[in-house]
Order: sequence, then structure tokens, then C-alpha cells
Amino acid sequence: MYDKKILIVDDEADLLEALSSMFERAGYRNILTANNGKSALEVWKKEQPDIIILDVMMPGMDGFHVLKEIRRTSKVPVLMLTARGEADDKFAGFENGADDYLVKPFLPKELLFRVQAILKRSYPKQEKRVYLDASTVDLEKAEVQRDSGIYPLTAKELTLFEKLYQNAGRIVTTGALCQAVCGEFWQGYEKTLSTHLRHLREKIEADPSRPVSLITVKGVGYRLNLKEAQP
Amino acid sequence: MKSIERFFRRYILSTIGILILFFLLNILLLGAYFVIAGLGNVKNSNFPIEELSRHIEADSGQFHIDAQAEEILADSGAWAMILNDSGIVIWEQDLPAELPRRYTATEVAMFSRWYLDDYPVNIWKRTDGLLVVGLPPGDIANYYFSFKAGYIRPLLAGIGAVFCINLLLMAYLFIRSTRRVEKAMKPILEGIHQLSEGKPVSLEEKGELAEINSGLNRAGDYLIKKDNTRAVWIRGISHDIRTPLSVILMYASEIEGTSALPPATRRQAGIILRQSEKLKNLVSDLNLTTKLEYSMQPIHKERLNAVESARQALSEILNEEMPEQYELEFSEQQPGKEITLTGDDLLLRRMLSNLIRNSMIHNPSGCRIILSVALENGSCIFTVTDDGKGMSEDRLQELNQDKSITSTQESTDDIEHGLGLKIVRQIVKAHNGTVHFSVAHPQGLCVRIALPAVKEL
Repeated sequence: MYDKKILIVDDEADLLEALSSMFERAGYRNILTANNGKSALEVWKKEQPDIIILDVMMPGMDGFHVLKEIRRTSKVPVLMLTARGEADDKFAGFENGADDYLVKPFLPKELLFRVQAILKRSYPKQEKRVYLDASTVDLEKAEVQRDSGIYPLTAKELTLFEKLYQNAGRIVTTGALCQAVCGEFWQGYEKTLSTHLRHLREKIEADPSRPVSLITVKGVGYRLNLKEAQP
Repeated sequence: MKSIERFFRRYILSTIGILILFFLLNILLLGAYFVIAGLGNVKNSNFPIEELSRHIEADSGQFHIDAQAEEILADSGAWAMILNDSGIVIWEQDLPAELPRRYTATEVAMFSRWYLDDYPVNIWKRTDGLLVVGLPPGDIANYYFSFKAGYIRPLLAGIGAVFCINLLLMAYLFIRSTRRVEKAMKPILEGIHQLSEGKPVSLEEKGELAEINSGLNRAGDYLIKKDNTRAVWIRGISHDIRTPLSVILMYASEIEGTSALPPATRRQAGIILRQSEKLKNLVSDLNLTTKLEYSMQPIHKERLNAVESARQALSEILNEEMPEQYELEFSEQQPGKEITLTGDDLLLRRMLSNLIRNSMIHNPSGCRIILSVALENGSCIFTVTDDGKGMSEDRLQELNQDKSITSTQESTDDIEHGLGLKIVRQIVKAHNGTVHFSVAHPQGLCVRIALPAVKEL
């Protein structure tokens, strides 16, 4: 993940430098920058970055126009970073094809988490195996390897696991998990959800009665904890 | 605008009351007049000619008048005469010299009901002649009315009908006139009402009250312009502060996390980071409260699962690095029960988040916070309870009344702007709900929010 090319576009030189420094410190090795819309498009065409962090308000061509131009030919993930915090601005960003929208000022960690989550979602095949404390989950084969045994995952268990994995370390609410399986009309699915998660837990945990990877947050949802050192 | 309708209804009723009072007063005055006239013997306008006649006696062609009859005549300043069948005066008393002593049948017929040489005349038929009494000129008015009998009843009915028609016409014209005033005044009163709520006013500038309407429109425009200027100023300031604040946050975070730097420098960077975070929250709160205050925040209402919204709000806080001294719990009062409401999901989550953070800010040494959701009497009830130090009775009263909210922290504490609870109140208001602050048992603060739930079909 850390070898992904990140293009940061902002007309504020100080912020551009601070962002580059922050991503480098976080371990990302390929940081590209541009200080206006026009040069952003040039860098994008030449370097084909894996993710773009794009400011909205820039002199000349603003971020929305840059995004429109990019979306004509590319599906590269774009996170809009802007001082315009109105809901309508956010909606305009999403309508133009932004993958995420973060309002300034932001907490540095939040930006890092969001970029990480977008990269995970956008380039899933490179993360085929997920390492947990007691097991390893192969997302491509939809199976769990534990204690030299292989446990296949059902389609719903895999969907739920993927949702939890995309938000690893964070609580995913019961409603969000139900929605991942059933779509918009998920009401009344909570009991079935807990059955699926119980089965999932039986496959990934060494002791399902004392889970360490798939944690229940009472009344709220569930959290997936990854093995601290992922190979 | 029930108050305006009530005002005009009361105005009409009071005027009808005044009319009734006016009629009663007139009847009373008329009655009083008759009483006074009666006491003043006005009703006896007719001369007591019959009585006079009784006191005039004829004896063998000679007439005798007694003292009482003389007194009657003297009291009225009247004269008297008796005519025989040939029209000759056969007896007279104080008869003016200029008057003839003989009358033709035509002359008798002419004066019998009206006047004899300006003397109002009364007559009385006696067996021995016609008694004629003349009163001083101008003392009595004699009129003679003559109607066909068939007209009398319709005439009386007509007078009654005219009276009633007049009364109804007067009432109709009065109500119509009041309605016209009401029609002209209602938009103005509504405009004033809207102005008092800070809403825009747009009145038609025509008709008799165009000048007032125009003045109100100008006042409304001025207030809105003033509000907008303030809101734009706050938005502009907060916008301009965002980018520099982002740079400060990032560098402070970097310095704090660089282990090669001296511990004192890293600690100072940590302080800058935390203060900048407070500034970040202040900018965000200031922006939101201003937009809610001036109705500039678009409210995107949709059907929501209240339980899921509460879970989302809680998980957002739990997903942050929450200090260990706080214990956060979620409670569903009716597990499995679907509670739906119409609202703006982002704003409702912000409302719950603000309440939870409020409990944390006021209890820095830690507390247990419970967020619960329930359905009660058609309302969705969100309750945030903590077992912290709570609030004073005065402060609770202040929060429960619709007073402006000041900072809820003590003056010795760090920056705290008091906007968190103000935003809660504004969001509740935007969702037509109610909020109530009370003491939790055995200690702490309990905030109960009731929002209208969508009725299940």
C-alpha cells in the first residue's frame, strides 16, 4: 500500500509541504504535488497516480473542474480536501465523482485513515489475505485457515467480513452491516446478522466465546481487530 | 394567525355590544323624558274643556260660571265662548274684542280643529250650544292627521321593517368595513409577526396602506441584510482560518510524534495540537450555529432509523481515541422495535455527539455515559445520562427555559464557547422536538430529547 502514488493538489504552499511531509512520515514513498488545477492535470496524465487528494478552491481551474476532467477518462480515487464545508458543496463533490470529502481543518490522522480506507477499497486484489490473531482469511478464495484446517466462508459471511475489514479497527454499526448484506431495506435483519457473525466468529476465532478479532460493541455494532504485525 | 382573527372578532363583538348599549341608552333616555314630561304635566296638552263645560251652567237662557271654571281659564290664559246653532255667541268669557260675535257654519268648520285668528282652539259640544275655548297664540300646536284605515297597519309594519332594515344595514356595513380593515391589516400584522421571528417579509405595496407595507418590507430587507452580512462575515472568517489551522494541526502533530526531538518541544507541540483542535471545533460549531440561527443550513430531512442514527453517533465517538476514564453505553429501550423519524441524519448525529461530548467536557475525571433510544407516545426519545458532577438547579432552569446559552464551564477552564448545547437546542427546534435537562439519579445530568416519530401503518 505504501508504494502507491499519491498526488496532492493545493494552492497553499505551506499546506502542500505539510501534507507531503505527513504522508512521507506515515511511510508513503511516492508523493507527487501540484499547486493548481492545470498542473494537477498534467501530473495526473504523466504519472497516473493511484489516489488524488484535491483542493477545491484554487485560482484558475477549481477542484470540481479538475475532477470532471479526470472523470472523463479515469476512475482513479479522489479525496476532496476543502475549506468549503457546506452540505451542498459536499453533495456537489460526490455528484462529480469524488470518493470522499474532508473539510479543513482536519485531524492529520483522520486524513491518513481515510486515504488508507480508500486505497483498500479501490485496490482490493493486492490485499488477498487478512491476518488475524488465530487465523488467516483468504478473500479471493473465501476461506479461513486456522489450526491447519480450512473453513469456507458463505457469500454473506464474506460480505460481512469484507465490510469489517474495510473498517478494520473501527466500529461498524449493526445497521451498516445489515445494509452491506441486504441493501437499503435491512430492517428486521439484526437477528439473522448476529447468527452470521456467530458463524464467522466460530471460523476465525480460536475461542469464539472469548473473541479477540471480531469484537462485539454492545448495542452498537462490531469491530474487527487485525493481527498487529501483518506480513 | 389566530391572535389576529381573535383581535378582529373581539373588535366586532365589542362594537355590536356598543350598538346594543346605544339602543338601550336611547330607550332609557326616552323613558326618562316621558317621566319628566309626565311630572311636568306635559301630557295634559289638551285643554280640560270637558271639565270647564261642567262648570258652566245655563239657567233660563242665562249662563253662570263658577270660580273653578274661571281658575281653569285663568291658568291657561284662555278665553271661552258658547255659540248657538245659528253661530251667534250666546255666552263669552274674556273673549278678545277683535274676534267676531257671529260665525258662519264654514267659519266654525274651519276653526273647530285648528285656529281662530292664531288662537289655538278646542271645542266641546253642549246641549245648549258649542263651547269654544281659545288658548294664547303659540301655547298649543294643533295638527290634524288623516289616514285611510287600510294604510295604518301597513304603515306600522313598514316603520318596523324600516327600523329593522336600517339596523341590519348598519350591522352589515359595519362588519364589511371591519372586514376591509382586517383584510388590509392582516398582512401587516403577519409581517410584523414574521419580522419578530426574523423571517423575511414581502408585502404587496399597493392600496391605502401601501406606505406601511413598503416600510415593513424595507425593515425586513434591512434585518435580513444585516443577518446575512453577519453570517457571511462569520463564514468568511471561519473559511479563511481553515487552511492555516490545517497546517498548524499537521506540523504540531508531526513535531509531537517525532521521537528525535526534545521531550519539552514535543510536549509543547502537543499543547499546540490540542488547542488547535479546540479552535477547529469552535470554527465548526460557530459556522453551524450561525447557519441554523439564520436558517442558512439546509435541512435534508429523510426517513431515518433512530436506533441506527444513535449507534452511528456513538460509534463515531468510540472510533476516536477516547480517554479511558469514560465509559460509553448504548441502550435500546425496546430491543428490535423499529423507531422511524423524519430528520436530517447528519444533524441528529451531531446533536447526540454534542450531548455526549458535553458530558465528557464537564467531567474531566471520567464518568459513565448512557445513550438510550425509546418510543413513547408517538415520540422518539433520545436520552443521554451521565453519572458525573451534574449541574446546579439554577443552571438547569436556565437551560430548560428558552434563554440564550452561555458557556457551561467554569471560568477557570480552558476555552469553551457554550455553543455545543446551543446547537443541540437549534437542531431539536429544527426537528419540531423538545429538550429537557434534569438531574440524573443518584447523580449526574440527564438530557431527554423528544422528536416526533413517524407513525407505523
